[in-house]
Amino acid sequence: MNSPPDTPSAERPAVSDAELLTAHIDGDPHAFSEIVKRHRDRMWAVALRTLGDPDEAADAVQDAFVSAYRKAGTFRGEAAVTTWLHRIVVNACLDRMRRKSVRPVADDELIEAAERDTPLPDQTIERETSMEVSAALKLLPTDQRAALVLVDMMGYSVEDAAQVLSVPSGTVKSRCARGRAKLAPILSHLRNRSDSGRVSSAKGDRTS
Amino acid sequence: MTGDTHYDLDILAGLAEGLLDVSTARQVREHLAICDPCGERLADLAAVREVLAATPTPAMPMGVALRIDQALAAEAESRRGGVGLADAPDWDELMRDSPWERQRPPVEAPEPVRLGVVATDGTIVPAQRRSARRARWAVPAVAAAAAAAVVGTAVLSTGLLAAGGGGGGSTVGPPVAASEVPSKQQERTRPYALTDSGYNYSDQELDKPLGTFLGVAPIVAGDPSEGDKVGACVTKVSSRTKLNVFAVDQGQYNGQEAIIMASWKSKATKRLRIDVVDPFNCKNLRKPSLGRW
Repeated sequence: MNSPPDTPSAERPAVSDAELLTAHIDGDPHAFSEIVKRHRDRMWAVALRTLGDPDEAADAVQDAFVSAYRKAGTFRGEAAVTTWLHRIVVNACLDRMRRKSVRPVADDELIEAAERDTPLPDQTIERETSMEVSAALKLLPTDQRAALVLVDMMGYSVEDAAQVLSVPSGTVKSRCARGRAKLAPILSHLRNRSDSGRVSSAKGDRTS
Repeated sequence: MTGDTHYDLDILAGLAEGLLDVSTARQVREHLAICDPCGERLADLAAVREVLAATPTPAMPMGVALRIDQALAAEAESRRGGVGLADAPDWDELMRDSPWERQRPPVEAPEPVRLGVVATDGTIVPAQRRSARRARWAVPAVAAAAAAAVVGTAVLSTGLLAAGGGGGGSTVGPPVAASEVPSKQQERTRPYALTDSGYNYSDQELDKPLGTFLGVAPIVAGDPSEGDKVGACVTKVSSRTKLNVFAVDQGQYNGQEAIIMASWKSKATKRLRIDVVDPFNCKNLRKPSLGRW
């Protein structure tokens, strides 16, 4: 059920995403669940980080997968299936954020949801950081947030993010730059923390 | 900006991302070489990337994964239940020109798949091909003539069949019969209401109670040429679906000439099956769906 994203199930070892999607279009009732299984963790991470709210993220990912299931026929093969899926997920998130301002969420709730399945080695520091990051991200305009989630958090290349967001690479870069500029004062104290490893106390004494 | 003015974070972030023009970038770099506070801010910016990258990305919680599985199962089920396997549309025809169909033989009845014609962007090739003939009122003369020719052919073949059936000794009947023959009963007394609204339907409208669309257009009396063509198509569809078509509207589907047919699945609950077919070959333009009246 909860296999890691890159482990295809035993009986279809070397089937590509594109082949699975074709099989789904041709009526294979299992093909699409395999796609879901492969990519849901990443899609979840993107949605959770973009929306900052586990309930909203769950709704967005569900909408996105159902929508992908329905409109598999419109997939045109020039982009990777993953890019296509990301695009659907990100759009579902952006739609949600634009339609209604997402309710402010208790950070505990977010972290709890985030860690339900992945207990972390050092709960306290990770938890604090994670909370601060998600709170800070919420201060950004949606476009900048989406770009930063993809590029800085998920580690996608600017080009991949541009494809997902359907904007030019330059736009992704400038959104990232502006987003980082806004986050820098908020998150700067974490810099020392990460520099000095576990010493989490009051090391926020940045020179100025 | 001069040497003794500091650069703000936006500029510094732009520098880091390579967004500044060459001369500005040079100025900023020269300034950075001698300005500690700006150097600190640049480091803060770099730290943002590190912090974001270091923030753990959690796996999808089991509950959410289950929920999605259920939603997808329901989606698959609604298709299966909504339109039976037996009356799957002609997928070979529908998917013929799709990129993914090129190298593989057509599949018999891939029923859980939603028809690719997906309204929103009309990317599916067959739909676009046929949309050469647009709105009735906007048909260029040549296209209109071609369309008339198509109708003419249909009338002709019907006529031939009638002649053959009349015992005229013609042997044309059987070969023609294969594709285009309307059943006799349809020709004069229609068991359905035929309208010609020309309305351009989209998936949204087809999800709404159809009575508001099909119920209001004036009934077409006896327009033989169009009527027979439509009649043939209705017959085809109802033989495919084993349901009685009770309302037929000639209009468009996403800008493409289409016949919308409604048949009762359950009259009591006003549940109906909606077939949207093209008027020329009577092929489904989208996956038949459940609708309301």
